[in-house]
Amino acid sequence: MEGAAPNSCAIEERRIDSISVVAVAGVVDMLTAPDVEKAIAEAAKSSPSAVVVDMTEVEFLASAGMGVLISAQDELAPAIKLAVVADGPATSRPLKLVGVTDVVDLYATLDEALTALTS
Amino acid sequence: MEDSGQRDSRTRFAQTSVLADAACAAQLRQEFSVWLKRYFALDPTKVSDVVLAVNEALANAAEFAYSAVERPGAMHLLADYDTHAEVLTVTVSDEGAWRIADGEKKNISRGRGIPLMQALADSTSIDSSPAGTRVRMEWNHVDATENATTDASAH
Repeated sequence: MEGAAPNSCAIEERRIDSISVVAVAGVVDMLTAPDVEKAIAEAAKSSPSAVVVDMTEVEFLASAGMGVLISAQDELAPAIKLAVVADGPATSRPLKLVGVTDVVDLYATLDEALTALTS
Repeated sequence: MEDSGQRDSRTRFAQTSVLADAACAAQLRQEFSVWLKRYFALDPTKVSDVVLAVNEALANAAEFAYSAVERPGAMHLLADYDTHAEVLTVTVSDEGAWRIADGEKKNISRGRGIPLMQALADSTSIDSSPAGTRVRMEWNHVDATENATTDASAH
C-alpha cells in the first residue's frame, strides 16, 4: 500500500466455491463508496450463493459506505446472501452503532463468514 | 475575512472557506486527522469516533448545503481544545440550506450521518437558519499529552 493516496480505496473480487468475496482496502467514503457499490453489483452478476464484502483492510468507513451495504442487502436478498467482514474501531464499531448490523450479517473474520455461509 | 486559510496549534485547528465538495471534504478530514493524532494521546477508538463524526458533518455540508444552487459554496471546520476542561469542540459550518428533512424521498441507504454524529460525540447540536447550518460536537475527557507528538510520528 506504500505510495497509495491517503484517501483511496482498492477493491478485488475473487470466488471461493459458490461465494464471491469482494475485498476492500483503504478508505470508503462518499468519493469511493460508488466503486464499492459497483463491485458488489458486478460480483452478484455471476449468481453466487453469497457475496462477502471483506472490510478487514478498510481503515475508514463513512456513512456513505454503510448505505452501500444496506442497499446491496436490499437488492440481493433473498436470492443472494450478503455478509460483511469487519472488526475494529473504524469499521465494525460504527456499523453496530447505527444498526447496520441489524440488517446485514457481520463477521469478525473471513473464515468465520465462509464457514457460516457454507454450513 | 481576516481568518481565511489555516491555523494549527495544540488548542486550535481552523480551516475556513473550503469548497464544499466531496474531494475537499476528504482532504479536510485527512488534515484534521493528522492534527488530532499529532496533538492528542487518544486511544484508537476515540480517534476513529472523532474523525468519523467530523467526516459526517463535512459530508453533509458537501452533499446538501449547496445542492439547490449551481456551484458549491464554502464550508468551515474549527476545532478548539480547552486545556483545563479537557474538552474538544468541533464546529462544521456552511452558508447553505440542508435539505435532509425531506421525508418523502426517504431512502433506506441514506440518513445515517446525523445518527452517527449523535452516537459518536458526547454532545451534538445542529443549528439551521436561512444563513446556513452549524454542527457543533463536543468530546469530554480528551487528554492532550505533550508526548503525543513523538508517539504520532513513531507510527
